[in-house]
Amino acid sequence: MPKFGMVIDLEKCTACQACVVACAVENNLPPGNINDAQMNRIIRWLKILPISEAKGGIFKMTLIPFTCQQCSRPPCTYVCPVSATYKNPDGIVAQVYWRCIGCRYCVNACPYTIKFFNWYEPENPYKENANPDVSIRENGVTEKCLFCHHRLQRAKEAAKYENREIGVDEYQPACVEACPTKAIVFGDIEDAQSKVAELSHSPRAFRFLEELGTAPNITYLKEIK
Amino acid sequence: MRFFGLRPLNDSNTVRCENLSLSASNEIFTMIEKALTGDRRYWGWIFFLLSIMGTGFIFYLKQLNYGLRITGMSRDVSWGLYIAQFTFLVGVAASAVMLVIPYYLHDYKKFGKIIILGEFLAIPAVVMCLMFVFVDMGQPMRAMNMILYPTPNSIMFWDMLVLNGYLFLNLIIGWTTLSAERNDMPPPDWVKPLIYISIPWAISIHTVTAFLYAGLPGRHLWLTAIMAPRFLASAFASGPAFLIILCLIVKRVSKFDPGIEAIQTLGKIVTYAVIINLFFFLLEIFTAFYSNIPGHMHPFKYLFFGIEGHGKLIPWMWTSAVLTFTAIALLINPAVRRNENILMVSAIAVFISTWIDKGMGLVVGGFIPNPFEAVTEYSPTMPEVLITLGVWATGLLIITVLYKIAVSIKEERI
Repeated sequence: MPKFGMVIDLEKCTACQACVVACAVENNLPPGNINDAQMNRIIRWLKILPISEAKGGIFKMTLIPFTCQQCSRPPCTYVCPVSATYKNPDGIVAQVYWRCIGCRYCVNACPYTIKFFNWYEPENPYKENANPDVSIRENGVTEKCLFCHHRLQRAKEAAKYENREIGVDEYQPACVEACPTKAIVFGDIEDAQSKVAELSHSPRAFRFLEELGTAPNITYLKEIK
Repeated sequence: MRFFGLRPLNDSNTVRCENLSLSASNEIFTMIEKALTGDRRYWGWIFFLLSIMGTGFIFYLKQLNYGLRITGMSRDVSWGLYIAQFTFLVGVAASAVMLVIPYYLHDYKKFGKIIILGEFLAIPAVVMCLMFVFVDMGQPMRAMNMILYPTPNSIMFWDMLVLNGYLFLNLIIGWTTLSAERNDMPPPDWVKPLIYISIPWAISIHTVTAFLYAGLPGRHLWLTAIMAPRFLASAFASGPAFLIILCLIVKRVSKFDPGIEAIQTLGKIVTYAVIINLFFFLLEIFTAFYSNIPGHMHPFKYLFFGIEGHGKLIPWMWTSAVLTFTAIALLINPAVRRNENILMVSAIAVFISTWIDKGMGLVVGGFIPNPFEAVTEYSPTMPEVLITLGVWATGLLIITVLYKIAVSIKEERI
């Protein structure tokens, strides 16, 4: 069973936000409105996280594509009182919208602040053109990045039809495909031959909030200056 | 009673059983009857509460329709006023144990008269807790999923279990002992074990509620091993303080006197608890600021001084601090707290200060700043406040009805 992971090279990333748009379109995210933005209720499974610092009197901001870190030990799944969020056999932190009672305990437990609650029935003007593979959420449930799990499902089905194992590059999330600078690399991190495994052991590699013991499966690459 | 022509061995037995069950249902009716007789003042209060409940309910229907967007909560502060009330009220529910321990374990007879008031305070407190969790849910229709598909890994599941258990324990104990008293009989023997179980159970509702918060990585204000002791200390301050207020009100509006000594002993309990609560809080301050770990210091800085110009909770937190110190100054001298008016004032001060500190201070403070040090502030909206008031009114209505029944029975015995 592969263990999916992602490496994001911040040296290659131009913060163009193509991944953000690709993710939103692929997963039928509601665009949100001004009120949502003011209230901090915009839902973006993949968002640009601004990290600002003042170094020697110079203000510096780093923009980081940030998504669910797909922890190996996810705090959010441990707290769910209805098993709506769990680590699925593919190693992806899953979310079952139809089980969710909307208590928002997982939203609080996630130290990455990357789970989103639907504060109202999502208003999606593109509903007619929605991606049929991804369910449209309802009022009062929590949602999150699923590594485009529906694509994995498709690839699995295709492989099963042809009676073979799923190939290495058959399944890529929308954000990886959209990246114009190939800053995002996706694959099986347990397969030592894969590029993602190689990069995740790079000396430039770091992971967010690793000290909390969440063992994230998203690795970032950054030159240390 | 005949089955296939067979006669029961003892007919008189059957008759007696029927009489017993009849008298039990009769008893419930005669007890409820006492809540339906009252003067103009009583009914005025009841209708006042009902109107607030009605308003709250209308806004809750609005929330069901429009979703939780009618509240002020956001992605970063996703628990607000509702869960703050829940956390605080779990503490109030504990006050019963501060009467049960002295009375049943140390044979402190002075509490005999008011022990029912403690048990009857726990019931509405837990009911309010459950209601606040319910109104906070995005999909309340699925609440039964928690019971149908148990998840022992989730603290919320355990909290649901202990809170409901505590509710039923107090319902059974309170009702049984009161009806025994009404019939001038000692309470039945089978209640005793339940009373003893209720003691650790009361501790458990606090501990488990503290675990809701204390186990989350990345939330520095909550990630502390003394969260449960802090909860207990503030519970044993706010619960008995509320009980003092209620006892003094009961004394003024009815012929039943809870007894000066009993109220004074409650005052003593509040004094100890509020000092321990302050002590625990100062321990947190020491650890955060002496270690100089930014994540640990930030929530306290936000609460009391504000961060980057954000500080909506500053006036509240300082009110809480001033009230705590005032209450301690008034309560610490036994000669001063013997004055009933001063005791009343300090009980109100303790109640409000813990309500702020353990409610909004603890819940909202835990979210700000978030683990990436971004600040999103929170303030409740009007519908949110009205729904909260509605739940409080429901609790006060249950307190009023239960206390009316208990006090009427006590008045009959004078």
